[in-house]
Amino acid sequence: MVFSSILFMFIYLPVVLAVYYIVPLKWRNPWLFVVNLVFYGWGEPVYILLMLFSIIINYISGIYVGKYREDNIKKAKSVLVFNIIINLAMLMFFKYYDLFANTLRLIPGLEFIQPLGIALPIGISFYTFQTMSYPIDIYRGDSDVQKNFISFGTFVALFPQLIAGPIIRYKDVASQLGFRASSAEQFASGIRRFSIGLAKKVLIANNIGKLWDTYSAMASSDLTFVGSWIGIVAFSLQIYFDFSGYSDMAVGLGRMLGFEFMENFNYPYISHSVTEFWRRWHISLGTWFRDYVYIPLGGNRKGKARQLLNICIVWALTGFWHGANWTFLLWGLYYAVFLIIEKLYLLDALNRAPKFIGHFYTILVAVCGWVLFQLNSLSECGVYYKAMFGLGDGGFVSPVDSYYFTSFAVMFAIAIIACTPLAKNLFDRLPQKAKSFSTPALILLALIVCTGYLVDATYNPFLYFRF
Amino acid sequence: MTKRSSWIQIIIFTAFISVFFVINLILPDKGFSERENRELTKAPEFTLESLFSKKFGSKFESYTTDQFAFRDSWTTLKARCEFAVGKKENKGVYLCGNDTLIEGYKPPDKKQLDTNISAVKDFSENAGVPVYFALVPGNSEINSRLIPQNAPNSSQNEIIDYCYEKSGAKNIDIYSALADHADEYIFYRTDHHWTSLGAFYAYEKLMDSMGIAPAPLSSFSPVTVSDSFYGTIYSQSGISWVKPDTIEIFTEQDDTTEVMNYSGAEPSEGKLYDYAFLGKKDKYSMFMGGNTPLSTIKTKNTEAPSILIIRDSYVNSLIPFLQNDFSEIHVMDLRYYKVQLMTSTVTDYIKEHDIDEVLICYSVYNFGTDANVFMLR
Repeated sequence: MVFSSILFMFIYLPVVLAVYYIVPLKWRNPWLFVVNLVFYGWGEPVYILLMLFSIIINYISGIYVGKYREDNIKKAKSVLVFNIIINLAMLMFFKYYDLFANTLRLIPGLEFIQPLGIALPIGISFYTFQTMSYPIDIYRGDSDVQKNFISFGTFVALFPQLIAGPIIRYKDVASQLGFRASSAEQFASGIRRFSIGLAKKVLIANNIGKLWDTYSAMASSDLTFVGSWIGIVAFSLQIYFDFSGYSDMAVGLGRMLGFEFMENFNYPYISHSVTEFWRRWHISLGTWFRDYVYIPLGGNRKGKARQLLNICIVWALTGFWHGANWTFLLWGLYYAVFLIIEKLYLLDALNRAPKFIGHFYTILVAVCGWVLFQLNSLSECGVYYKAMFGLGDGGFVSPVDSYYFTSFAVMFAIAIIACTPLAKNLFDRLPQKAKSFSTPALILLALIVCTGYLVDATYNPFLYFRF
Repeated sequence: MTKRSSWIQIIIFTAFISVFFVINLILPDKGFSERENRELTKAPEFTLESLFSKKFGSKFESYTTDQFAFRDSWTTLKARCEFAVGKKENKGVYLCGNDTLIEGYKPPDKKQLDTNISAVKDFSENAGVPVYFALVPGNSEINSRLIPQNAPNSSQNEIIDYCYEKSGAKNIDIYSALADHADEYIFYRTDHHWTSLGAFYAYEKLMDSMGIAPAPLSSFSPVTVSDSFYGTIYSQSGISWVKPDTIEIFTEQDDTTEVMNYSGAEPSEGKLYDYAFLGKKDKYSMFMGGNTPLSTIKTKNTEAPSILIIRDSYVNSLIPFLQNDFSEIHVMDLRYYKVQLMTSTVTDYIKEHDIDEVLICYSVYNFGTDANVFMLR
């Protein structure tokens, strides 16, 4: 199930919230546990079993790691290693098996290896990372063992951040899993956040995404220099508003249920360096890799050479985490290169240079990176990059480009402004009274317009059905 | 935020989602959507099998959007918002001047087009009677100047030229017949078909090509039979605020004209105009009562030649004009006449019914996409 759907907003959510606030406090977690599984199993019921398996394995590992770490740290460590192996094996098998199989088959003598056509279990990359953090945090003494199976299961499968993050670490929400105070202020701030996220996803991302669909599907002979830039800028905006909109909705829904999750995005496109960009983009993933990979590898404590190697490892993994395709690995390494260059030379220079230079450079790197991220093969990327650098077959600009540009000009303007904190800052400066009046009106407006777009989305007529 | 403001936000949000939850629960499910001209999705039956095959989930989701309360108002709101932010189309339909809705033309699959045109060519060579070929361009070609500047809209005229060069038949230049009258009401503003006036100009050209003197426009007296027609493009577009179309008929069915439809097991009597359709959504089907696999029209002019028309739905509104010029008009729709053509051929049909001339008449759109033209043998 996804948040931006009629099913979620007008059936699932009212039922979940109503029961959650009607039942006695002690029934809240069991209720969440059940509805989490419904949410998860909606698209693929079989994978509920996978989710339950993951919950049970990590629950038991947590208990044993906690038990042994007091007197036999070696034993605790082997339990932990065993747990990590199982978690990663699950991720590898369900997410990457087909990629590995298809790659190995290219080697002469290994043609017998067959891909299995496994459907990716939704959210597996998010919840595997999330569950793995639990025994690690216990081993490190960062959090206590969760004895209550239901509470633990609620954490793993918590529907707001189950399928698209933020990736919460166990230690960050441990204290909220038992008793959660809830207040009208928190609930209302959740509503505001959810509405903003919904509008970002439905009104901006979905809308401008259509433009990228058009351009990414264009034949190389039609793709012009200007067109290729329109297309990739549209995608850059789409992915930001889609992803951060989803995170906003997750944070908002969390608050409606009394949880506080970490922030996941912080206006990444206003960054002045690639280093800063990654501190503002998908923060929870970066934090996870820093805490559980980069620092354990030695981080920057083992000399410059080792640090650069660590950066390469972390960014190769970060890239590969985004999808089962070698292009994602390259996309991660692409960022490793810029991060290393910045670390060694550029960052000082960027700090001294006028701000717009750093800004322009960062956006250019990010936008060019999305080509590698989003297209399926290196040959497609090659065609697209050629067009972007004026070497494509489509020429400089076509009349169709000007049609699309004028059609989407207002959307571009709205989206680009919404990438900056400008609107938020202006709103914050309004007098208290104006804020109190306008907030409910804006929420209602967002809900109404988004509902219109959601109802219309599956408008998929077969007009000759009755003719 | 103050506590009071927080509560107002909570009430608005929870009221909004729960009110629609309840309304959707209470309101009975709808069947046919007049506006969209299609059956809305019904509640899927829950079985373990449908659940695990994932059919239940996706069907239930379309059910929730299809049956959402006040659906038509929501889709209108969405279309309005699209135009408000500077879009020039919704659902692939351009909103043009004078409340005209036009769908941009996309070039057809080359392979399908080539298959179809070579079927026409082979047929023209082997039919044994003169074969006329007419491709009808749509409003997106004739009135392309109304479409937003630079909007994607492929040329239908190029497709016509391409096909006419290869057809081997006597090609009829419908394009100029219509283009010469582009300013007149020759296409419905909300439907993909031509109006009766559009069909008249095509009739004129057709007669010229066949060497028959056409009846002049002044000899017909148009009668308006509906002023509330919303066509297929309207249904597709979500642009609900345009004014409806008017349907005119130019000539009544002659008392001596006999129409037979061969749709079911037994032939049944048909009509040139089935006025019952004027009370329904699909008002264009008033002409000939919609598409039939095969219809025959016999007139009083027994001395005149007989004609077989292989066609799509555009021809339905052309037929009334032909009453005075032919003894028999046989109208065959390859899309629905498939079964019979498995055991016999169109050429057999021509011999059997002593047909004098054949007209193949399709809209450019259908000719480029229809996968049944190969049965023309």
